[in-house]
Amino acid sequence: MLNVMKRKRDFHQVSPAWNVVFNLIAGIFAILCVFPFLFVVIISFTEEKTLATDGYRIIPKAWSLEAYQYIFKTGDTLLRSYGVTILVTVVGTIVSLLLISLYAYAVSRRSFAYRRFFSLFAIFTMLFSGGMIPTYIVVTQLLGLKDSVWALILPLAVNAFYIMILRTFYITGIPDAIIESGKIDGAGEFRIFTTLVLPLSLPGLATIGLFSTLGYWNDWFNALLYIDDPNKVPLQSMLMQIESSMQFIQQNSANSSISLEILQNMPQDTARMAMVVLASLPIIFAYPIFQRYFVQGLTVGSVKE
Amino acid sequence: MSKMTKKTGLTAAATVTALSLALSACGGNDAKSDGASDKPVELIWYTIGTPQKDVDTVMAEVSKYTQEKINATIKMKMIDWGDYTQKMQVLVASGEPMDIMFTSAGGFDYVQNARKGAFLELDELLDKYGQGIKDTIDPGFLSGSKVDGHNYGIPANKELPQLEVWRFNQNLVDKYKLDTTAVRSLDSLEPLLKTIKAQDPSITPFAMDKNYVPYVPYDYLVTNMPMAVKLDGADLKVVDILETDEMKQALNTMHKYYQAGYVAPEAATTGSTQDLMTSGKWLLDRAQTQPLAETSWSASNGYPITSTPASDAVITNTSVQGSIMAISANSEHPEKAMEFLNLLNTDPVLRNMVDSGIEGTHYEKIDDKHMKNLDASQNYNMPSYSLGNNMLLYLNENDPDDKWEQFKKFNAEGKPSPILGFNFDSTKVSTEMTAIQNVKEQFWASLMTGTVDPATYLPKAIEQFKAAGLDKVIAEAQTQLDAWVAANKA
Repeated sequence: MLNVMKRKRDFHQVSPAWNVVFNLIAGIFAILCVFPFLFVVIISFTEEKTLATDGYRIIPKAWSLEAYQYIFKTGDTLLRSYGVTILVTVVGTIVSLLLISLYAYAVSRRSFAYRRFFSLFAIFTMLFSGGMIPTYIVVTQLLGLKDSVWALILPLAVNAFYIMILRTFYITGIPDAIIESGKIDGAGEFRIFTTLVLPLSLPGLATIGLFSTLGYWNDWFNALLYIDDPNKVPLQSMLMQIESSMQFIQQNSANSSISLEILQNMPQDTARMAMVVLASLPIIFAYPIFQRYFVQGLTVGSVKE
Repeated sequence: MSKMTKKTGLTAAATVTALSLALSACGGNDAKSDGASDKPVELIWYTIGTPQKDVDTVMAEVSKYTQEKINATIKMKMIDWGDYTQKMQVLVASGEPMDIMFTSAGGFDYVQNARKGAFLELDELLDKYGQGIKDTIDPGFLSGSKVDGHNYGIPANKELPQLEVWRFNQNLVDKYKLDTTAVRSLDSLEPLLKTIKAQDPSITPFAMDKNYVPYVPYDYLVTNMPMAVKLDGADLKVVDILETDEMKQALNTMHKYYQAGYVAPEAATTGSTQDLMTSGKWLLDRAQTQPLAETSWSASNGYPITSTPASDAVITNTSVQGSIMAISANSEHPEKAMEFLNLLNTDPVLRNMVDSGIEGTHYEKIDDKHMKNLDASQNYNMPSYSLGNNMLLYLNENDPDDKWEQFKKFNAEGKPSPILGFNFDSTKVSTEMTAIQNVKEQFWASLMTGTVDPATYLPKAIEQFKAAGLDKVIAEAQTQLDAWVAANKA
């Protein structure tokens, strides 16, 4: 028996006791991360009245689907916002992956004469920016994107930091030898990029893709600035509007005419939680999709020189 | 090599800048091609509130009416409550075309933006095109909303003074047979609080959130900052509110109440008493009132709420600046905008159309004074207070006939604060103001709600405020106030 135990414990393993400890720590941490979200889900299913009398509870006294019914009844705005967010996220991720991967690839190639200039050009935007008002003027007056979904897509499309990540990924992950091999076989620059470089850099692309998906999904500030049309407001921005409006009313509760009139029109606590749940669900499913490529990434790139 | 790339870079950057400058200049110019006086002018109107579906439909109807009257059409843009201040700052700073905008003490600050030059000075326009406004609106509004001696906006005609009241949960008052008639001062509440605490410990006797400040007869120069002037107007001296006898006494009382358990332990940190309101587990709180407020409080909470006064009705800057419509400094048609504001504040047809939508679609008249909202009104649910003269509005079904008379009476009873119309300019002492704000975050809520003992914490707070430069701010405020008194009251 003892012998078996001993044999099973190989050199790479920590002792069972430590294993338990580490697992516990990891488990507790995981619970800490998941718990707030689960709590939001629970609150969204709580009955509004019990919330006021007993406060937030892990196991509420009375369950109710009212919040979700309320949302879907008054919900064509919510559904439209869903549509806007999904459109912006999908199109935006594609556009930004396209731009960033091309830019980063060019900058990564040693044979490119202006790589230093274009690297600096990108890094410059990390250090200095025009500020809010000039950016606003450029987007609305120069580009004429006021009230257009492109105003939600283009400002986030290229990110200097992602370019740097991907450039480093290309430089370290894709040996010059591979590009040369493509040249020897008679492939042009585009062919090399699409058939050799891109498939090899899937893990890098997946990382950037996930980043920008999250970025687009969670972005509310651009909508605050550029979107007036209520039909084009994305989901997060709508949630943000509800939150900040509640705050505004509380701050101005002294002004009786404001608070009296509008408090009734605001969604209740549970309804807001239900919106949060509905807003986060789809993006949770984005992780497993990208996860596949991360794991794959470990096996790709094992090129022998 | 590297030299060359640098040069190219510079040229490229320069080209881009030049190009964008040229283009944006173009963009700015082409709006200015108006001149023919026959063509109706389009007025762009930014206002606060959750954007409504039918705004454009209603404004098309409004435009038909205004085109006939003053040859102008209206384009209304609504910005949601919480976004308004931030978005307007960007819009104004970037020179977005606009003619009329909503401003107030609480959202897109009126005084600050008037001083920054966001609004057009209206003195002359008001004389020329705004005679109707001058005749209709309570004169207290126009004189009270002057900034450095000039009018920059048209306040909405609504409740004028601020009147603090104690609100009571009438169910509990009836149940325990409490007497609310003798209540007025903070100290007079004690017997009620004591009874309810003894009878039903699950009730929070005195509901309040972290913004609660005991009422003292002073007018604050900046809302809830410690600089204040006594309301009796004897000497017009700016003082530190924490050092006044009235506040000291109030804080002692608050602490006594807190220790007795009349105040919720979390009062100093909680942002809202909405939960208590919904559940009805509270006896009393303090609020600002207006005529018929009891009815709407009761209606929105679902149980009867009554109130008795806790202060005199005072007209302050904050109450005057609750809702103002200003004309943008970059407006292309300031005269037309003024004509429109004049019409909006005097013409019941236009005012009600803007407020309730299209007759027959969004609302219908019951008799010549009353109206009823129809189902479609949920697509055009506007906040009345931000859209001009309230006293022209049709009454709701349940409103008493004399609603607006009650308002007029209420307004007439208000006494102007001695510093009504004086707006403190804090730019010279902005560093100190920030420091004071920080000290305030540290002490204010816990002192005001009675959570901490004023015997030990009040001296500490006073000392910290002094260290943050409160004396300098008070001195600066006093200088400005003296100059204002010399100019306005002599």
